[in-house]
Amino acid sequence: MTDTAPKPIDSRGPRWVGGVTFVLAVATLLIALLIPLEDTLLGRILSPEFLVLLVLWVLFTVGTVGGNRAHPVAILFRLLVQPRLGKPAELEDPRPPRFALGIGFALTTIGLVLHASGVLYGLVVAAALVVIASFLQAFAGYCLGCQVYLLLVRGGLIRPKTPLLA
Amino acid sequence: MNVWAAIGVTAGIVALAAVLAVVWRATNGRARSVDADRTFTPGSLPGLDGLAPGATLVQFSTAYCSNCPATRRFLSRVADERGGVAHVDVDLTHRPDLAKRFGILQTPTVFVLDGAGRLVSRIGGAPRRDELVAVLDRLDPLPEWSI
Repeated sequence: MTDTAPKPIDSRGPRWVGGVTFVLAVATLLIALLIPLEDTLLGRILSPEFLVLLVLWVLFTVGTVGGNRAHPVAILFRLLVQPRLGKPAELEDPRPPRFALGIGFALTTIGLVLHASGVLYGLVVAAALVVIASFLQAFAGYCLGCQVYLLLVRGGLIRPKTPLLA
Repeated sequence: MNVWAAIGVTAGIVALAAVLAVVWRATNGRARSVDADRTFTPGSLPGLDGLAPGATLVQFSTAYCSNCPATRRFLSRVADERGGVAHVDVDLTHRPDLAKRFGILQTPTVFVLDGAGRLVSRIGGAPRRDELVAVLDRLDPLPEWSI
């Protein structure tokens, strides 16, 4: 019934990823609030807020597609931070943090598309949601997959991979 | 937007996140008594093969839940420590129908069933030890020798 769990990872890795995500999302939000929306598509795509959010989008995409350990911040964590911390006290299933990266990917994609389309505050709202989610994940130990997965499956927005078994 | 307004709005969003974190921490893992009459019989849930005489702890989990494995270890330890208590884990990853039927919005969610299979309490989030122990004590006071 239960899927076989993949190899567990050091649970401090996703926390660091969340922390760096939080800093970048705060920067995106601040810049987006300061700079008025450009009139042309090219102007909007080359605007600093779009480019900073694009960096976040690339990070989320790499983490979602390649897995937690492929996330550039996770690689830096393993190279620079983990050796100084010693052995992890806790290992965790990689699926929940990867699910959270997928949520980040979805939010930033929506933000970029809305901003490019010239929707006022589209990018601001997306960045604010990433700020809130990454804060909770990095500093409060909140797990997005614990609630959002059920809501999305119950709402029919994502479908479980295998057919329902009675 | 001018610099101070932008800083103010950004700080407001971060403050909102902090408030949500505090609320989440304060409410998570608390036991809630259930008044509605809902009884589970063996076989009514996947993995629920029988009912323990004292209490049965039914845990609902998914593959995307980082707090579920620790809750699983905790509840099976509680079941081992106390006589007459059993622990069952129900995987909702592929069963949104069950989540809908029982109004489950987060994982882990724990249903505490009494010896007759009646749902007496539900706990959303990783259960707090003191809350769970209080529920179990009300159902089935610990025998002298185990104190």
